Amino acid sequence: MMPRAEMVHWWFATGFLIIGLLLVSEAVVGTEVWGRRPWRRYLWPGTCFLLGVLMWPVMTFFTNSTIHMAAHGAWAQVLMLAGGVELARARGKLHSQYWRLCSSLALLVSGGALLVHEQQHWLFARSAFLHHALGWTLIVGAVFPLLHAFRPRSFVAATGFATTFLVTAVLLYCDRDTAQIFGYISRNAGYPHR
Amino acid sequence: MRRAVLVSAALAAVAFPSSAFAHAALLHESPAYREELSSAPRNITLRFDQQVDALPNAIVVLDPRGVNLALRAHAIDRGLVAPLRRLPRGPYTVRWKALSSDGHVVSGVYTFGVRVPAAIVTDAVGAEGPTTSEHIVRWVYLVGLALFVGGLGFQLLVLRGAAPTRRFYLIAGAGAVVVLETGIVAFLLRAEDALQLPFRAFLYGDLSSIAGGTRFGQAFIAMELGFSLAFAFLFLAWLTDRVALLWPALAIGAGFASGLSLSGHSSVSRAEEVADWAHLLAAALWVGGLVQLAVVVWPLLPELRRTAFRRFSRLATVCVAVLLAAGTYLSIERLPHLRDLWQTGYGQVLIVKLALVALALAWGAAHQFLVLPRLERGGAGNGLARSLLGESAVAMSVLLAAAVLVDSKPPPRQLPQPTTAAHRR
Repeated sequence: MMPRAEMVHWWFATGFLIIGLLLVSEAVVGTEVWGRRPWRRYLWPGTCFLLGVLMWPVMTFFTNSTIHMAAHGAWAQVLMLAGGVELARARGKLHSQYWRLCSSLALLVSGGALLVHEQQHWLFARSAFLHHALGWTLIVGAVFPLLHAFRPRSFVAATGFATTFLVTAVLLYCDRDTAQIFGYISRNAGYPHR
Repeated sequence: MRRAVLVSAALAAVAFPSSAFAHAALLHESPAYREELSSAPRNITLRFDQQVDALPNAIVVLDPRGVNLALRAHAIDRGLVAPLRRLPRGPYTVRWKALSSDGHVVSGVYTFGVRVPAAIVTDAVGAEGPTTSEHIVRWVYLVGLALFVGGLGFQLLVLRGAAPTRRFYLIAGAGAVVVLETGIVAFLLRAEDALQLPFRAFLYGDLSSIAGGTRFGQAFIAMELGFSLAFAFLFLAWLTDRVALLWPALAIGAGFASGLSLSGHSSVSRAEEVADWAHLLAAALWVGGLVQLAVVVWPLLPELRRTAFRRFSRLATVCVAVLLAAGTYLSIERLPHLRDLWQTGYGQVLIVKLALVALALAWGAAHQFLVLPRLERGGAGNGLARSLLGESAVAMSVLLAAAVLVDSKPPPRQLPQPTTAAHRR
């Protein structure tokens, strides 16, 4: 049995929300305080890597269009890349701060995949709006890890990076056509089992 | 004021339901995918998860000659219907396209049969079968498989106890990435051939009938899931310096090495699938081990050269024995007559492959019987790294022949004679 598409989006939204909250916490207390308990350093990269692994089933089972499949495949890979690199930095396997550029690349690729995937203008439909909003959020968000690579102590870079994940989570939660939790189902929303 | 209007419009776009992220998806079709009907249907009906509009030639029903037997399609509530001319007995291909409510054209293909079994969707009318690009992609896939599975096998079975080097992780990791990427490309190439759509339309083509309804699609799903997990284990082994995590990576990689057996034209029985899997796994262990020996052990671990060479010779002997046994069995099964070997395309590719295998075996035998005794006597083994690379190159060319062979169709088997009783019926 396949879960509904919006249900899967919510699961991933929850993952991004967790990452965003962890990054906000780190930004608020500072990297030194955050790193006093070593396991904390693995939390957001580990979640990111896990989300990448979990994106592979989405890629293989949601094949109702080629572009969806390719986009989900790209997200799976960049999530694993960004999470893996940050895990390796936390573990001390990679030392250069410029490895942070992988997160920037991951956000750029993710945003690009969303924008290429959407061919309609912003207000054509809610889905089009969400695609554009998500795509540009991720592309603008790519600036923050870039800044962080060159200015590791920047508070703006740290909070901006965290906010990118929080906004992404909120936008993913907005995919909710048949969500009874919101109390209203459009007649255009499709069959209830979707 | 203008800003407020824009912000309100944006919030409204998010707040009010219209269509979800996904474009229109086909939920149900009648006749169903690969259904064998006892009588000709009057209509083709497609049901989607949202309202769709009919485009010109929205539903095309092709007989084996490529003649369209569908009349003009029209939209119904969340669906499309096309009346049909009278369909005689035979297999049919349905090609459809629909304009979904978000403005994207979604397309797809499926098959059914009237009083005959339906073809699989990758053999639909219009599909041309495997191309040179597919052969190359499959070869790259096999090389990646060898680097990943063979590399892991070498590390765990030959270099047991020695700490894995960074170069080992790079080679094995690159192999896993290649397997994942080429798996996606191979699937898309096969889907493109089945759908027969221009590139832009292919981007919105419905691949679900290929992913879920063909052996190739099922193999794709299994392989992608398996190798992504195996790659995660490999990464965690590197990250945590725990060699034990390489074992699940090897087990998963070896288990899913049979993806090609599942997807190829040639696999028929369960025994053949097992033989194909063993054949492929033995080849991967052999070729990947050779690469590790030449690229990792020789330049980086000189103190382990002799031990590694001796142990790998043993492993390679087992691999070659399995290769030959499984290969002989598969050849006998797939080529009913000896003359098929030179009279059919499948047989001719097999001859080329056998010639390359013979060359690789002769090279390996030279290493086994000439170089190994010299190393045992304390020789330096100068130039052996290059020789090992040469053997690897020949083995990889064997994989190229194997890639073409997997995509080729063996000659048809003679069907068993019907019994008298069945004949009477």
